[in-house]
Formats: sequence, C-alpha cells, structure tokens
Amino acid sequence: MAARRYLFWFFGVAGAIVLAIVTFNIAADAYILNNRAGASVETVSGFERVLKPAWFDTIKPDIVFVGSSRVRMAFDPALIDPTFHMKSFNYGVSSATAYETRRYIQDAAAQPSVKTIVVSLDPFEDGEASQPIGAGFDELRLAVTKAGAPTPHRDWWLTTSRYLSGGALGMHALGVYLLARLGPNQSASERPDIFEAYSRMTTAIFRHEMDRRNDRAIAPRAWQMSELRASLAALCNYRGAVYWYFPPDNFAVIARYVSNDADGFIAFKKTVLAAVRDHNAKCMNKVRLFDFTNLNAITRERLTASHTQSTFYEDPIHVRPPTGMMLLRRMLTSAKADAHFGIELTRDPHADADIDAIRAQAAAWAKS
Amino acid sequence: MIFSSYPYLVFLALVVIIFRLLEARLPSLKRAFLLLASLVFYAWWRADFLLLLLGSTIVNFFIGRAITSSVESKRSPRMLLIGGLIFNLGLIAWFKYAGLFAATTNGLFGTTLPIPHLFLPLAISFFTFEQISYLVDASQRRAPKYALLDYSLFVSFFPHLIAGPIIRHNDLIPQFAKDRGRDDRDNDLALGVTLFTIGLAKKTLIADNIAPFSDAVFAAAHQGTSIGLVDAWMGTLFFAFQIYFDFSGYTDMALGSAAMLGIRLPFNFNSPYKATSIIEFWRLWHISLSTFLRDYLYIPLGGNRHGAARRYLNIFITMLLGGLWHGASWTFMIWGGLHGAYLIINHAWRNLLKAAGLSTPSRLQPLTHALSVLLTFLAVIFAWTVFRADSFSAAHLMIAGLVGMGGHSRLLTFGWPAGAAFTALFTLIWFAPNSMEITWRLRPALQPPRKDAGVRDIGLWKWSPSPVSAIAFGLLFVVSVMALSNLSPFIYFQF
Repeated sequence: MAARRYLFWFFGVAGAIVLAIVTFNIAADAYILNNRAGASVETVSGFERVLKPAWFDTIKPDIVFVGSSRVRMAFDPALIDPTFHMKSFNYGVSSATAYETRRYIQDAAAQPSVKTIVVSLDPFEDGEASQPIGAGFDELRLAVTKAGAPTPHRDWWLTTSRYLSGGALGMHALGVYLLARLGPNQSASERPDIFEAYSRMTTAIFRHEMDRRNDRAIAPRAWQMSELRASLAALCNYRGAVYWYFPPDNFAVIARYVSNDADGFIAFKKTVLAAVRDHNAKCMNKVRLFDFTNLNAITRERLTASHTQSTFYEDPIHVRPPTGMMLLRRMLTSAKADAHFGIELTRDPHADADIDAIRAQAAAWAKS
Repeated sequence: MIFSSYPYLVFLALVVIIFRLLEARLPSLKRAFLLLASLVFYAWWRADFLLLLLGSTIVNFFIGRAITSSVESKRSPRMLLIGGLIFNLGLIAWFKYAGLFAATTNGLFGTTLPIPHLFLPLAISFFTFEQISYLVDASQRRAPKYALLDYSLFVSFFPHLIAGPIIRHNDLIPQFAKDRGRDDRDNDLALGVTLFTIGLAKKTLIADNIAPFSDAVFAAAHQGTSIGLVDAWMGTLFFAFQIYFDFSGYTDMALGSAAMLGIRLPFNFNSPYKATSIIEFWRLWHISLSTFLRDYLYIPLGGNRHGAARRYLNIFITMLLGGLWHGASWTFMIWGGLHGAYLIINHAWRNLLKAAGLSTPSRLQPLTHALSVLLTFLAVIFAWTVFRADSFSAAHLMIAGLVGMGGHSRLLTFGWPAGAAFTALFTLIWFAPNSMEITWRLRPALQPPRKDAGVRDIGLWKWSPSPVSAIAFGLLFVVSVMALSNLSPFIYFQF
C-alpha cells in the first residue's frame, strides 16, 4: 500500500510538472516566434544551442548566419528582413567551436529554403584549446549527420529539445522576459539596456576587454583547419550563395594579434584563402571570401574624450546589429558606398599582398 | 538506446506496463516479451549487429549444451571449452583488437599489415565475457541445461546488455521464473523508479555537466598543448568525478530498470572513493568486473596458491588484461598495469606490516584512515590520467602538468564556482550515502560478493516509500529529465 501511494505521488508530481513545463514551452515558443520583435531574441546569449536548431527548422529562412557570438550579436533578423526583403535566421552561438560551425553549416545547407549562407571564420581560430562542442550542443537536432546522411529520428529530438528540456525552458523564459519588457511598438534597437547586442562599447568596456586579450594570438591549428576543409567539402554541391568573412574586430585587437604573432595571423588567413580557392576551383559551389580585419572605416574606430560611446561596437570584438547591416550590404550587394571597408579576397588579384599589408597597418596604428 | 534519453524513457515505460500486464494475465509470455523488448533495444542502435548478438548467443548456447552433455556422460569437455573460448575471444579479438594489433605490429616491425577499421559492436565486451563464464561454469558442472529462451534472455536482457553489470547465468536465469504478487510488483516499481532517478541525476546533473571541463583539458593535451598545474589537476579531478558519476549512474539506472521488472542485478559500486587502499578500491569499484576477473582469470592463473612472487605476477597479468578489456589502446593496458603495480605494493605492504606485527594505535586511526583514503584517491586519479588520455603523449603532458613540470595553459579558471563544485563533489563521494545504502531496505541488487564490501547502515538517510520522498524524487526526476537535452553517451558504452 505504501509503495502504491509512493508511486501515485511520484508520477503525479513528475507528470504535473512536466505538463506545466511543456505547456509553458509551447506557449512561450509561439509567443516569441509570433512577436514583432521576437527575431531579436536570436541575438541573445542563453541556451541558444538547444533552441536555435528547432527555430531554424520552423522559420525556414532564405539566409542564415553561422558563427560565434560575433555573428549572434551582429545580425538581427528584425533589422535585416524588412531592409533586404528576405527571411533571415541568426544561427550564431556563444563560443562556437570549429566543429559546431561545420555542423551548423551542414544543417543550413541541408535546409531547402536556404539560398544564402554567411559564415564568420573566427570559430576556426578562436579559443586556446580544443573543446569540440559547447554545452547544450546536440547534433541529433541537426538535419544531417556529420557524414551528411539524414539524422535518424530528428523530429523526435527537435520536439523533446524544444518542449521538454531545461535549456529550452531557460531560453524561452529569457526570451519572454526580454520581449515583455519592451514597450508598445518598441524594437530591440531602442532598448540596448535589454538587448545587449545594441549596447555601445564604452572606454571601460574597451579597457577591460583589451586586458583580457593581452596574450591572444591567432594561428591555424591542424584540427580547426580540418574542420574548415570539412565545412567546404559539405558545401561543394550546395546550390546557394556562400559568404565567408574574417570578422571586423576593432583594430586595437587586430594590432594585438599582429604584435603577438603576425606570422600566425597571416598564415591563418592565407590558409583559409588557399582552401577557398581550392574549393572554388573544384566545386560547383563558389565561396566568396571577405576580409574585414584590415584597417578600415569600421575597425579604425577609437573612443576618445569626445567620442565616448562606440558607433560600431558592443565591445572590441562584437559589432552591433547596425554594423552587421553594413557588413551584409557590403557582402550581398557589393555596394559602392560600403566599398571603403573590407576586401573581397576571392576577387582580389593582390589578395596575398593585401593580407600581408596587415603588418604595415598595425605599425601605422601603433604610431597614430 | 542510451538510458539517459527520451526514447529509453518511453521504451522503459512501455516495457514495464506491458510486462506487468503479462505477469498478471499471461505469465507464460513474459520471458518471450522481455527477449523481444531486449532485441528491439539492441536493434535501436544498429539492427544489422543484432545478427552478431543472436549468432554469438546461439553458438554459445549449443556449445554450452554440448559441454554439459559431455560432463554428464563423463567425457572431457576440454576441446569443446577450448573451441568456445576461441570462438568468443576470436570474435572480440577481431572486432576490438585487430586494428590495435596491426597498427602495433606495423609500428614495431615496419610491416604493412592492413589496419582494419571495424565498427565495434555495442556491448561485445560484456556479452562475450558473460558467455565465457557460462561455458567455463558448464565445464565445471556449475551450469544446468537452460532453455534457449532463458539463455538468450540472460545474454540480451536489456538493463545489463550494454555496459553491465556483468552477471552470471545462475544469478539471472532463475529470477526469470519468479512470480510476483501485486504488492511485490509495486514495491519493485517504487524501488526501480527511485534507483533510476538517482542514476539519472548522477548522469545528467553531475557527470554531463563536469565532462566539458575535463574534456577541454584532455583534448588540449591530445593536441599537444603543454598543460599547466591548475589545468592538469582540475581536468584530472573533474574526470575522476565524471567517470564515477557516469558509470555508477549508469549502473543505478540499469539496476533500477531491472528492479521495475522484478529482477536484481549484481552490486557494482559501493562508494569506491571512500576506499582506504587499492585492494579495497577494487572491492568497491566495478565490482562485477573485478569479481569476474578474479574468478575467471586470477584464480585459473593460480591465484595465491603458488607463493608470493607467483601471486604478484598473477595479479599483474590479471590487471593488465583487465585494462586491455576496456579498449583497444595501450593506454588502457598501462592503466591496468598501474593498478596491478598498486595492488602488488598494497599486498606487499600489508604482508610487511603483518610480519612486523605493526598496527595503528587506536587514537591515530581516524588520521591514518583519512590519510589512507586520500592516498588511495590520489593513486586512483593518477591512473585515471592514463586511462582518459587519448595517447601516451597526452598522458605524458597531463602527468607533467600534475607534477608542476608542464606549461602555463589557462584552459580552466579556479575561481569560486570551481571551488564550490569541488567542495560539493568531494562531499558527495566521501561523506554522502550511496544509492545502494539509500535503497538497501528493498534489496536493489544481488548480495555483494564479499562480506567486507557490505552495505553500511545509514540510519535516517534510508529511503522509505513515503509521500514526501515520492515528491522529492519526483522533482529530482523532472529536473534530471530537463537536463537530458545534451545527449552524451555513457563512458562505458565504448567498452
């Protein structure tokens, strides 16, 4: 009798809580996806690895952005979609690894609606070590396995992740909370206090972040380059447009990379360029490679006594969504107005020399 | 199917419901149903390897029958037994060790043997060992003739199929015939869900959450990064906790799943990090494996029957092979060898103390006890670095880091979150009661094989099926299920 009563309470409590959580998740998911500013939640850090694959599958976008927090904060679909008249999706996740990036590229390429994939290259060089995946990543939620075959039982994994996981509960709760704090007809861009991607770098933030990056250097590592080549291989027969770019970290950071290991930094970019050239020569798909790390209209921004809040940056490595719009316009439209920043390496006859020019630019920056 | 996954939860719920219905209405079908469910469970992973499992089961069944018949008719079963051993060891050697053998031969002798890249069949190490024990027992008159259905269910019974505990035929098969009344069924289900919940919490709330930290350090070592002192210690400690909570969590889920069906599996963990010596550690860690190795390897090698030197050699060989059983990598063998060396030192030290008539004064016993636990733990985690490392060079980098001769990597930060995590984890492994102690009132496992590895009485901490504990465990279950989203398989699934 005691055991029966125990079972009644055990399953009663567990069942009731699960039901409540599933109900909340269904409601919150619908609220976020149907909210006018809901897409801005894609710029927020939380349990995005858990929910973004499911949202991606539901939204069925035309264009998708893959990468780390540099992507997550740079591209706000709420800003992009009305301007470019397309449906976009921000697949950026905090501290994305090279492996995850490859897998998200594969996922994006397998989604029939996607016509354009934009990839930030920093996950292929970032991080001192090593971890193949970040917390919450689960490749069973992606459309294809790493070998490119359809993921078995994927609908099951997507559904359980979306409605029955702690990560989804956290991300939904965060999303609902943020959207509920927006005033009537307010957009995320008007509330940088809520949506961090829109906040502006201050001198204090700049100094703090620069201190953290004292020893940072960039150099190609074998396993990351192997993921990069695997990413290209996954795109070989992809019919859509693909844009890869070196993200526009503030030149103070770039100069530090150059000062710490100029050879490694240059080697990384040349290795990527060689891999892309090889891909373009062999494959039906052609990747357009952009370099925004040079000294340009965005990266040269400095905070001064009269310019205390950044126009372009949230911090020295994360650009704000309006800057993301500039990058996108530069890549998608090759607009002349934006041609003063970034180089399209794949169409640049002097690409290698332009990459090498970073030494001189860093030296000039140091003197100025 | 991974125990900590939604499909398994649904599968288990369906199996338990149908099994209970069959028990009440059509008990003659319950074994056939369990066998069918077990095969579905295995096929979920890869249906084609089901043929291997079934083939191995049928071949062993008939060899076992032939051995039993030989013994009954007073003929020597030796050749049949050798044939059975060759079949089983050949199967495991081909699938598991052929690549290692070829690569090592090529490396040592400059040969160009083709290296087979075979897919390791899930659970092969476990079902092969269990069947070897059956054949050996049959040759020694310790195994009756079983029905094919019972024997197949013994091999494939899903709660123990993938990663043990390693169980003997005579411990499991008689339980299949057991009839349960409704009260027994309810008691078993209450016990089962509780034990399963404890295991699920260990896996999803603890092991999976600390895994990324140890993975980061060991992956960096694998890539050639020189590991700093703090990283090496944090990575190693996190792995020591991860493997314990992962494997003992798996075992709790296996025992819980079986208990729901009225079956008891072997006792497998009993707070091994509380061990005061390596000898004791192996009586508390993966008990079903160490018992198997003792009974089917150490004792046949001669055990302690031929003097101290031979005994130590037998211990060393047993541990070397026990290490290699874990996987086709020399690092596993070195890990086994390290434990063999530890055990030899431990036995020799005991003998020395005994011969000298030395013992610890009673007032110093708490101190020596604490120091013994600490020393044993340090020895064990040192060996874990070799076990976890992907290569000798990675192990070397980790060990250099542990002794302060590594680099200056800063992969992990030892701040207050890490301090709080370590405090909680050490409290759990050294001071908290374990799952067996908590649920021992309803006998969640078979009796421990050794009396000195028995279950402590934990007084008030003992679980009882009250509404308050039901609510607490119900909440723990939901929280653990919520954490299922990051599916990482159990470490021991690869063995």
